[in-house]
Amino acid sequence: MAEAVYILCALTSVSCAVLLLRAWKRTESRLLLWSGLCFVGQAVSNVLLFVDLVILPETISLYLPRMLATLASVSVLLYGLIWDAS
Amino acid sequence: MTLLRSMLNGAVAMGWLACALFFLRFWRQSNERLFGFFSLSFVVLAMNSVASALIDAQDERHHYIYVARLVAFLIILYAIWDKNRGNRRR
Repeated sequence: MAEAVYILCALTSVSCAVLLLRAWKRTESRLLLWSGLCFVGQAVSNVLLFVDLVILPETISLYLPRMLATLASVSVLLYGLIWDAS
Repeated sequence: MTLLRSMLNGAVAMGWLACALFFLRFWRQSNERLFGFFSLSFVVLAMNSVASALIDAQDERHHYIYVARLVAFLIILYAIWDKNRGNRRR
């Protein structure tokens, strides 16, 4: 059950990133670019989540890299919203 | 380490909430459903971070909080699908 949730999180976040960046290519809307980049960070974080909790042994924790990837993706979106999109 | 985790989760939660407010404003200004769904999704992600900060990492229920994250991503996917469907119809 847990493994399925982690895999689905990774797959859905990758899909979000791809769809948002494709929409950005089509429309050239800057908001879609920043949202797409944010979801690229989320995708990285969720792939790390799967690697951390399913593949790697419990002695190795990727919690910090995962959190930093998430923080980076939030920061990218906030930067875009504040400087570019409003 | 626990303090660092809580601080990072708190920062991420605040960031998602700020993004949610921006998208809420865009939704009110343009009345476009896409922005409303984005706002909702970021609120769910913020709640997810708050839950991560409050639940002990050793707690065996911790994978349930990732279900909330999955729901947030599904809302975004639905929002994009909904937007594309609207464009085709026009």
